Amino acid sequence: MTFKIQHDQSWSTDFIKRLDEDGPWANWELYKLALEAEESLIIPDFLGLQAPKHIPHVQILPHQLEVARKVIEDMNGKGILADEVGLGKTIEAGLIMKEYMIRGLAKKILILVPASLVLQWTYELNTKFLIPAVPQKKAYVWEQYDVVVSSIDTAKRSPHREIVLDQDYDLIIIDEAHKLKNKKTKNYDFVQHLKKKYCLLLTATPIQNRIQEVFNLVSLLKPGHLGNEEYFDEAYRSGRYDVQNEEKLKQLINKVMVRNRREDTGLKWPKRIVKTVPITLSPTERKLYESITQARSNTAYEQHHAFSTITLQREVCSSREAVFLTLKAMAEKEGISESARETAISLMHEIENVDRNSKAEKALEIIQSIDGKVIIFTEYRATQLYLQWYLQQHGIKSVPFRGGFKRNKKDWMTQLFKNHAKVLIATEAGGEGINLQFCQHIINYDLPWNPMRIEQRIGRIHRIGQEHDVHIYNFATENTIEEHILRLLYEKINLFENVIGDLDEILSRVGMKNIEQHIRDIFYDSDTEGEIRVKMDNLTSLLTYPNSEGDAYASEGHS
Amino acid sequence: MLQKDIHDFLDRYFTANDCEMLEQGNDLLHVQLTIELDKLLMNRPFYWHYQELTGAEPNPMKLKLRTKQSEEDSDGEFVHFGSPRLHQIFQSTRQLGSYIRLYENVQQNENAYVPLVPWLGLNIKVSYQCDRKKDFLYSIGLNLINGMMVSEFQGLLESKPLTPKIPDYCYTMSTLIRPGSGIKRIEQYIEQVIQEDDPQWSIDARKRWKEDEELLDHFYQDIEELPESYHVEKQALKELYEPKVVIQIINGGMFYLSNHTMMNLN
Repeated sequence: MTFKIQHDQSWSTDFIKRLDEDGPWANWELYKLALEAEESLIIPDFLGLQAPKHIPHVQILPHQLEVARKVIEDMNGKGILADEVGLGKTIEAGLIMKEYMIRGLAKKILILVPASLVLQWTYELNTKFLIPAVPQKKAYVWEQYDVVVSSIDTAKRSPHREIVLDQDYDLIIIDEAHKLKNKKTKNYDFVQHLKKKYCLLLTATPIQNRIQEVFNLVSLLKPGHLGNEEYFDEAYRSGRYDVQNEEKLKQLINKVMVRNRREDTGLKWPKRIVKTVPITLSPTERKLYESITQARSNTAYEQHHAFSTITLQREVCSSREAVFLTLKAMAEKEGISESARETAISLMHEIENVDRNSKAEKALEIIQSIDGKVIIFTEYRATQLYLQWYLQQHGIKSVPFRGGFKRNKKDWMTQLFKNHAKVLIATEAGGEGINLQFCQHIINYDLPWNPMRIEQRIGRIHRIGQEHDVHIYNFATENTIEEHILRLLYEKINLFENVIGDLDEILSRVGMKNIEQHIRDIFYDSDTEGEIRVKMDNLTSLLTYPNSEGDAYASEGHS
Repeated sequence: MLQKDIHDFLDRYFTANDCEMLEQGNDLLHVQLTIELDKLLMNRPFYWHYQELTGAEPNPMKLKLRTKQSEEDSDGEFVHFGSPRLHQIFQSTRQLGSYIRLYENVQQNENAYVPLVPWLGLNIKVSYQCDRKKDFLYSIGLNLINGMMVSEFQGLLESKPLTPKIPDYCYTMSTLIRPGSGIKRIEQYIEQVIQEDDPQWSIDARKRWKEDEELLDHFYQDIEELPESYHVEKQALKELYEPKVVIQIINGGMFYLSNHTMMNLN
């Protein structure tokens, strides 16, 4: 026989007992209701999805349904979910989880996510999917609860590790799984030792530029799917540029991975309307900027404080308050050379001459010309505080927002913004799940050097659910470091028009993990404007023609 | 289940449990729970423990359920097919409606006593399970005197007037087949049905299992001493794919039916 048969005996035993004891007996109506309840819960077919009718309040998009179907029916519940950012990997994972729970195939479930997302996941599973997930807080939670959300760092540490490895999980979900690409890490070892029946690995950047990393990730999910290490090395690595091998590898990877791109989803995306707003520094601001640039050529000073000079230059472009804080910290720092301290102090004096904030004035002008709500992103806390005060002076209500806010506070601030304020002033994109789709205007008050962060900012409002076009205002102070970044880098790679997935992939393909450091080096090491220009050009060409650099095993689409 | 079906279900549920209906509309049910239902549904064991210890006046809660989501009526819990409340109620019916004994309510005069034939009726859920799952429901009745078995038994029962007390001028015949063996007979019958069903699903599951297992063996083939992760993974594959059929009795009981019923079946 190809299957075994199990009987559940508990009913019979109890029934015989009741016959002997003459009851108690149920009433007929409840007896019928019990059967009707069961009838409604019957799983009528091996295939198809039951979950959507259990969560009617969640809008599930066609590509998300298709991912869930595919993972369950074609991949036997073991898959890498690799949609581009913003297409709803969490929804897909939740849907698959819900389906297995409804079918009674998964009960004990572990969800490993970055520490900062534990509460977010718990919240979404509970509210969207009506799954009673709990965050791991105490050691007893592992055993006591069926659906637990935890950070991998907690789970892998003793005494948790032992308890977790001892649980019989039916389903394991790992968010940000690309962090598991290196098999020499403790995280990898830990996940490898987990018993994985159904398993979902979530990542937006599944295919880094190293083929070995792909191998490691897939081998966690389905060991042997890409062969064993020796065989894999031989077959693929040596023949790295062999087209046939590459094609075969892609096919194999697509058997365990689903990846949707924005253009595949057929979703209509609102437009991004990008405007660069040039800012001319006021004479006093300009003077401060020049003084700081001047300080840079003082070599003794420079040796210790290269980093700070560039920081200061950027800060002047933001607000005098931001520069002041940094200078103050420098002046008070121990072990700093006397000349450096003097430079810092004299610069602090110069700040006092700055009598206006050109950017803030521009921001005010834009805000006043817009009917709707506006989000201002700045890099600096000091600027954030200043702007709040400044807008207040002009009768505009604003709420502050920081990435470090606790979940409750984030929700509260979002509500305040939605119902009572015109402006949200944020220092960070604020993390996933903050719903700001009711807003269509973003002011990039100052620009971060990591293009991914720009994307995250825009992604807060340019996402599924946004019904209007999105306006992005980029502030760039003329003839400053800021303008360089904007003109030489961001505009060339069409950063503001492109969507995150592309950039994501580009950065990982060229293996540029630390683009910020890269840019910093360019500015610091270049002596002339011309040199900066040439180096930035090199950088942009790398980003524009990523394939020239080598072995990009990007999996394109899915079959 | 449509929202309307859910509404009807809840209405019948609370009525069957003798709850007082405080307010009722097309999509609103406001009920005063009984002590028993409060204990089953409201999840407050400490209160009931305290109440029993102190002998305080028991104060079961009220429950306000809506079967239509509305903006203006914000009070009350919205119940839909996936809501935890409905599933909790579903589960409670398993507890409340599992075992039964009923008699056919035969209208009879005192001149002739009517014998009622004992039937064992079982509602059974059969699950085909591997990494996928499919369920079937069977409702089987077994005549405990002559061993006759009928399917769709629940439907037959629902067409009869039934009562929990033996009607006047009726008497029950003794069973020749004991209920315990009756259960076994029905289970054997179900097993036979399963055996005769197309086993392709389990063959496919074994194939998927074998494929993954071969990959796993290949992955570790050059390693002399197989690490623990190999065994963990192998066990996981077994638990994931190994096809099995689970037979579970949902509810059932003794039904004493008139001969008339039996004749109609023949």
